[in-house]
Amino acid sequence: MSEKKKKFNITLGDIVPVIAFVVIFIFFAIASKGKLLNAYNMQLLIDQSIQIIILACGMVFVIAQGSIDLSVGVNLGLAAILSTNIAVATGQSWLLFPLAVIIGTLVGVLNGFLVSTLKVPSFMVSIAMLMGIRGLNSYLFTIFSTTQVPKELKWFNNPGVKFTVFIIILVVVFYLLEYSRIGRYSKAIGENEETARNVGIPIKKMKWIVFIISGFMAGVAAIFSLFSVGGTSNQMGAFSEMKTAMAIFFGGILVTGGYSAKFYKFILGSLSITLIVVGLALIGFSATEYSETIEGILLLAILLITILANKRKQKARDEEETLASKIPEKTE
Amino acid sequence: MSERILEIRGLNKYFGPTHANKNIDFDLDQGEIRGIIGENGSGKSTLLSQIAGLYGSDSGTMKLNGKPYAPKSPLDANSSGIAMVLQELGVVGGLPAAVNVYLGHTGRFAKGGIVSLKDMAQAAYDECDKWNLPKVDMTERLEGTGIETRKMVELVRALSVDPQILILDEVTQSLSLNNRNRLYELIKRFKEMGRSILLITHDVEEMLEITDTVTVLRDGEVIGTVKSAEVKPEDIRTMMVGRDMSGSYFRDDHTPTYRDEVILKMDNVTSEFGEISDISFEVHAGEILGFCGLSDSGIHTVGEVAYGLTKIRSGKVTLEQQGVEITSATTALNSRAGYVPKDRDNQALMINASIRDNFALPSAKELRGAAGIISGGKVNALSWKMKDKMSVKARNIFQPMNALSGGNKQKVNLGRWLAKDLQLLILDCPTRGVDVGVKAYIYQLMKDAKEQGIAMILISDELTEVLGMSDRLIVMKDGKMKKIIRRDEEFTEHSVIGEMI
Repeated sequence: MSEKKKKFNITLGDIVPVIAFVVIFIFFAIASKGKLLNAYNMQLLIDQSIQIIILACGMVFVIAQGSIDLSVGVNLGLAAILSTNIAVATGQSWLLFPLAVIIGTLVGVLNGFLVSTLKVPSFMVSIAMLMGIRGLNSYLFTIFSTTQVPKELKWFNNPGVKFTVFIIILVVVFYLLEYSRIGRYSKAIGENEETARNVGIPIKKMKWIVFIISGFMAGVAAIFSLFSVGGTSNQMGAFSEMKTAMAIFFGGILVTGGYSAKFYKFILGSLSITLIVVGLALIGFSATEYSETIEGILLLAILLITILANKRKQKARDEEETLASKIPEKTE
Repeated sequence: MSERILEIRGLNKYFGPTHANKNIDFDLDQGEIRGIIGENGSGKSTLLSQIAGLYGSDSGTMKLNGKPYAPKSPLDANSSGIAMVLQELGVVGGLPAAVNVYLGHTGRFAKGGIVSLKDMAQAAYDECDKWNLPKVDMTERLEGTGIETRKMVELVRALSVDPQILILDEVTQSLSLNNRNRLYELIKRFKEMGRSILLITHDVEEMLEITDTVTVLRDGEVIGTVKSAEVKPEDIRTMMVGRDMSGSYFRDDHTPTYRDEVILKMDNVTSEFGEISDISFEVHAGEILGFCGLSDSGIHTVGEVAYGLTKIRSGKVTLEQQGVEITSATTALNSRAGYVPKDRDNQALMINASIRDNFALPSAKELRGAAGIISGGKVNALSWKMKDKMSVKARNIFQPMNALSGGNKQKVNLGRWLAKDLQLLILDCPTRGVDVGVKAYIYQLMKDAKEQGIAMILISDELTEVLGMSDRLIVMKDGKMKKIIRRDEEFTEHSVIGEMI
């Protein structure tokens, strides 16, 4: 009857993101005639994916609950603009770090309040925030325009510092998502909120927590973004909420969240997405009018494959394992 | 006595390697009420689904009124005069009740391309009147409505095609006593009209009462068909399981036995929206406290309030041993209490998640190790242990819940709580939709839990169950406590029904 006491279980859906990443990697390695593999480009790949990974580190908790936070991109922009300008204006340049994180977190708190206490669907809340904060950012930008990151803070750009912070974030998020009650409860809420409620999981609190984490990470991403660009820009964080959400779904995490939300998946998803952007640039599609279209088409294709793979798995399971008494739910 | 309406010969159905139906021969007469019974996985739902056009067959023939009958879809079956109410809920929550009733037939109500919801609702009300069914609000969306309302909508949907054969797959289990009686009357009228009914229920006594004949299935085969008036429930159970089942069912003692410590106390509790009012009781360690009543009696709300899921307007719910007041389900969860809700698939389980994650859900706190780490190894160990202990039939703990049969799902649902060191377990219809074998098993678990001193609140729509298991029974009516009966007092179905109505 069973291979006794199996310790883990790997399904097709679990492997697809790995295969997708490997295939894309090999494809661009060959198509770019090996250019992708040189140190400079590898560095570029990692640098570019860091922002998405950090944003995804927060958003993945929201998505695990079956919700979405589309405000992270503009939140990043707001945190970057305000923290830099306040730091410069006050002359207390170190203020940039705590301010960026606090502003990001505050937006998360507001999201959490709207979603969990006022029970507005997260999609609408975060779209409204996206529009509102985008407007605010444009306004702030007309006042401050481009502001450079204070020179005395440049030590942060030292790879040793930057990567240490990045790795600490990854370790903490790995723990929270896979080994803590926050992660397990969030996934349970994504699977079936009613179940979670009936078991006694503090749903309201969990909703607060994930939006706060998401906002916090947007603040952290603002810092990384500021230092990689060198200062504020009008386009900061633009569309990155979409890229982040894409990266998470691309990694094989379902829109409905639940136990499909795994750490390695959104990391691979983020890397794959960045790889496509960098790879296209390397084979000469950079900044042409087609590059975004091609990105879109590639994304669609790979998402389709992921979904089909999951469907096949589902079908095989239905045929093989459905016990005789099971009836499909819908009759029409 | 009358003409044959349905004739089935040599029907086979495979699901992959599973041979769900083996050479089924089956006949049904006009005006016959036929019960179909068997353990979960015996092939009864499959057989009915084939008749109702949900599944095709791999070999064999069906004849309806002497003509070959091979429905390609449920709509196809409908037009041949066969309609089915499914075991699993098959309604679209986001649509109004009336649209659910006429799903697939909404064109009938179109005027110039626009469907009139008003006409549709009226037609649905007429249908309810025609069959003397309770009126549900046909204009309301089904999201968030109770399981009973949804079942009624499905029943009206089946009746709306004016069927010659009506198939009911575990419908009574979702209904409370008063609505069950309406269904029984409907069944009688069907018979008088010369129409036939095929029905599945796990309640053997009920089945024998309302059917003319009963067909027993086991492992996809027909074991036999008997006249309901001529057999005893034990005979049926023995036929189903293939071995003698007597003596292993309800409690056989007739005195309440429980310890002195009060575990949970409700003091003059009125729920936020008044579903229950002035409820006061104590449940003791090792006691099974039963609750029964008709559909608006509020028995299910008692369970929700006890677990902190429904807010209260006045009164107090306390866990006496710790002096903890239950104000939310989280308090209850953290105070060694557990709650098994009535609607297993929608309220209790994460149906697409693995057996493992379902088992571990309420134990997250207990599974924490150093630095609060909940390790995969610990989760696995707990799940394997409970899977073996509860003898859940599955290949491994990573299988998704929806691959399991109803009985095995319920074992996971109960097992997740029994994995914990509980002081209180609230059970709302714990044997709903499970077969006799699993039922007996669940009763045994309850006896064991009682032995260990766990206090239990047993809420059930099945009188035999509360009478069979409770130390004390609280009969409720219109949200109020009507009477408390002890096991050594007049503890009979008759006296309880007298109080309920």
